[in-house]
Order: sequence, then C-alpha cells, then structure tokens
Amino acid sequence: MSTLLFLTPPIIACIILAGMLSYFGNHILSRGIIFIDIAVAQIAALGTMIGILIGFAEDSVHAQIVSYIFTILVLGIFAMMRVRKQLLPQEAIIGIFYCIALGMALLLAEKIPGGSNYITKTITGNVLWVTWKSVLSCLLVFVPIFIINLLLEKTLRKITDGEIAGKSMGKTRFYDLIFYITFGIVIVKSVPVMGIFLVFMLLIGPASISRIFVQSWSARIIWSWIIGSIGSMAGIYISYSANISNGPAIVSLIGIATYIAAYAKLYVKRGDEKLITTN
Amino acid sequence: MLSIEFILLPFIGCLLIVLINVYFGLHVIKREIIFIDIALASIAALGSAVGMILFESAHVEHTHGRHGFFPYIFSLCFISLASFSFTLLKHKKIPIPLEAIIGIAYAVATTLIVIILDKGAGGDVHVHDMLIGTILWISGHQLTRLAVVVIIVGVFHIIYRKKFLSLTESFHDHKNKINKHKLWDFLFYFSFGLVVVEAVNIAGILTVFAFLILPASLSVILTGNWLTKLIVGWVAGITASFAGLLFSLRLDVPSAPVIITLLGIILLLGYLLYKLSGYKKQAKEIYGS
Repeated sequence: MSTLLFLTPPIIACIILAGMLSYFGNHILSRGIIFIDIAVAQIAALGTMIGILIGFAEDSVHAQIVSYIFTILVLGIFAMMRVRKQLLPQEAIIGIFYCIALGMALLLAEKIPGGSNYITKTITGNVLWVTWKSVLSCLLVFVPIFIINLLLEKTLRKITDGEIAGKSMGKTRFYDLIFYITFGIVIVKSVPVMGIFLVFMLLIGPASISRIFVQSWSARIIWSWIIGSIGSMAGIYISYSANISNGPAIVSLIGIATYIAAYAKLYVKRGDEKLITTN
Repeated sequence: MLSIEFILLPFIGCLLIVLINVYFGLHVIKREIIFIDIALASIAALGSAVGMILFESAHVEHTHGRHGFFPYIFSLCFISLASFSFTLLKHKKIPIPLEAIIGIAYAVATTLIVIILDKGAGGDVHVHDMLIGTILWISGHQLTRLAVVVIIVGVFHIIYRKKFLSLTESFHDHKNKINKHKLWDFLFYFSFGLVVVEAVNIAGILTVFAFLILPASLSVILTGNWLTKLIVGWVAGITASFAGLLFSLRLDVPSAPVIITLLGIILLLGYLLYKLSGYKKQAKEIYGS
C-alpha cells in the first residue's frame, strides 16, 4: 500500500496534464504545428537566461516573470505573423524561432557560469518527484485556462479547421493570440515538472491515435485524455517494475502505441476494404 | 592571412552542407516536414548507440564510438527503417500530418538514447557537442567523407530531379504521377538521412537544422521558381557561414550560434524587403490607377 500512496501524486499529475494537453494537442495536430511546444519550451528557457543575465536569481519570481513575458511576446509575434496567404508554412516559422532561440541560448550560455546546464535542464524531468503542492499549483493555473478556452471554444475550433482564416484576419489573430498565450503558459508550467519530451508526447501521441480512429472533436479530445492517462499509468508501472526512468518509459510506450495504431489502420482495415471491393 | 587558412577546411565543410541542405530545405518546407532532419539525426544516434553497445563496447577507445563500423551500419539500418515508416504512413487513410509521425519518432528515439546511455557520465557536455558540433576542428578525413556523400547524393538528385520535384509538388493531394512513387519517396528520405548523418557529425544538429531551414525560408519568401530559389538560398547560406566563421575566429565565440544569428538577420532583412515590396505594389495599385 505504501508504494501505491507514493505513486498517487505523479499519477494524478499525469491525468490532469493528459487532460489539459489532450485539448491543446488536438488543436495543434489539426493546425499542423507539431513542434510548437518544443519551441515554446526553448523560448522560455532563453527568457529565464535573459532574466539571470539582468541579475535576478535563478529560481526567483522575477526571473520567472521575465521568462513568461518573453515567451508571451514571442508567441504574440507568432500569432501576428499569420497572414491570409501563407507563403511559409507555420511549422517552418516555428522551426526558425526554435533554431534562433536555441542559438541565442547557446551564445548566452557562454556568459553565465554553468550556462549550458540551462539548455539541457529542460530535456529530462522526473514525474516521480511530483508532490501534492505542485499538483495543486498546476491545477490553479490550468482551471482558469480551461475556462477561458471553453468560452472561446466554438470560434477556436472554426479557426483550427480553417473556416474563418480567410474572412477577418483581425478576429482570427485575436483568438489565436489568446490560444497561443494560454498554451504557452501551460507548457512553461508543465515542462520543468515533466520534462520536454513527456509533455511533447502527451500532446501529440494520444491526439494522433484518437484522430486516426475517430472524427468528431469531442470524441477526439475524450479519447486522447483516456489514452494519455492509461499510457502514463502503464508507463509509470513499467518504469517502477523494470527500474528505468519513468519519463522515457511513458514516452516510448505512447510513441510505439501510436505507430502500432497507424500501421493497424493501414493494414488491418485493408482486408475489409478488399472484401467490399470484391463484393 | 593566417585566419583565412585556418577557416578554409571548416568553410569547405559549411559550403558542402549549404549546397545540399538548401536543396533539401526547399523540399522539406514544401512538404511541411520541417523537423525531419532533427528526427533523422536522433534516430541515427540511437542506431549508433545500439551498435556500440552490441558490438563495439570492448574497443570503443580505438574507434571513438560513432565512427566505428558497426555503429555506422546500425545507424544506416535505423534510418532506413524510419524512412520506410515515413513512406508508408504518408497515406490518405492516415488523417494526421506526417510531421506528427516524425515528431513521435524523434521523441521516442531521443528518450531511448537517454535510457540506453543512462549510466554514461558527462551527458551535458555530450548533448552540447551534439547540438552545435565542432566545425572549427573538422579533420580532413571527416571532410572527405562528407564530400563523398554529398557528391553521390547530389548527383543522384540531379539525375532524377524531375521525379523528386513532382513527388514534392504532389505531396499533399495524394495524386502521384510517377510510377513506384513509394520507392522514390523512400529514396528521398534515405538519401537525406545519409547526408544528415555526415553533416551532423561535423556541424552538430542545430547548425545543420539552421542551414536546412533558414536560407530555404528566405528563398521561399523572395522568389518563384526552383532554380532562383536554390541560388538565393546558396548565396545567403554561403555568405552567412563565411562571415560567421571569420567573426567567431576574430571574436573568439563559438561559430555555430554566430552563423545562426547571421542567417537569422539575413532572413529578417529578406522578410522586410518582401514586406516593403508588397507595400510598394499596393501603393502602385491604389495610386497608379
């Protein structure tokens, strides 16, 4: 029983995060901007480094505020760059942002003692260190974000499906701005706790699996949540029994499951279709 | 003059990478699979880690890890497996973008490397090197390998350029006009993987990614047909890498971030130019008539 109790906060954290990310993940997947969360995490890390260079302590509130402001600023620029006739795909713009942010971080790392730590720090996280306190603070941030997104949900859905994009750019940009800022806050909040790859996988993996099999938005979001939660719990169990790090275990499990799902869709259904066509 | 001699080898290395990567960058942007290069680099690294553990653990010190025979073979195997998957899973029955499939492969490969190399010490330094590479210290041997791969892949793509062009042009509407398009798709990814392995070994993941995306983005913004796009991208890439290497030597800063910053500045200038010409055109339309 004691082991179970010890695992409750991480499991609850994974379920909450899987829920929040399943909503954002389905939007991100439909918009085709897969790597935005890795770019946002990198931009936030750069923001923290700028805060440190200005003279704030590493874990101080000030450095965090600098990081948030910087991230929101960059995401604002990104939302404003959406134009009617998209010359460059948005994913390419994300790639450019990521590349320059990482380059800048490497340049700044030379100026901060132990600077290269800040670059690699975000790569791994440890779910098992999650405490009730951080679960609660995540909830405090996620609930308002969830409510804001719930209120704007219909319009955001239309923008993601590409229905409004041509009509009024001002409105689209405004809604996009809110979407990206709330998304950015979720990413900046969760990456230090869970590690960048776990957040990335919970965002993309379950959403991909559910998109492969179901069509409607609500079904996609609910199935992603279920898949994300089950995947995290199974991953934590495997990592606990096989004595490997839990983040990589969950990531590999959900990732491999996505590939299996995609191949299953390709080849298992093919039999049915052949039957139908031959009939 | 000493400095010019000193950066000659790194510059030739950059030149080769720019020549081939601008070409691939245009394809990759058109296909919207921007992060494929980082994914293939991670998958290759996973392959060489597996090869190292299975076969070469006894004499790692001689072969220096990833340059060994088995690690290389394994990384090629892993790349071809990945290319195979990317080819098959781009299908009209799979309603998710290929970039998502690529991203998942990237995440899994990277975390598996973490699991495999968990016990290795000095991981930070390794990650740092993997990201920005050490192009200033490129050896003649590395340069030769890069040149051989770039020339083989380049000639292959020049000969069959029409096939690859039509594949990429029809990438999003599932209407392939050429025969055996799956095979050609596979060859596209695999040949790109070959280049990525050599380039990343020398210049690091981040620099290679920058050479892939930034110059090609500039030429997508500025020009129309493939040939002018290639030339614009080449000029931007070569200028940035020459100036970047020179700066980094004179100012004693790492070369990769300087080159990336310069590429970013060139891209920004190009974007402003594009905006400016757009406004001019608008003004002409309004006031000219």
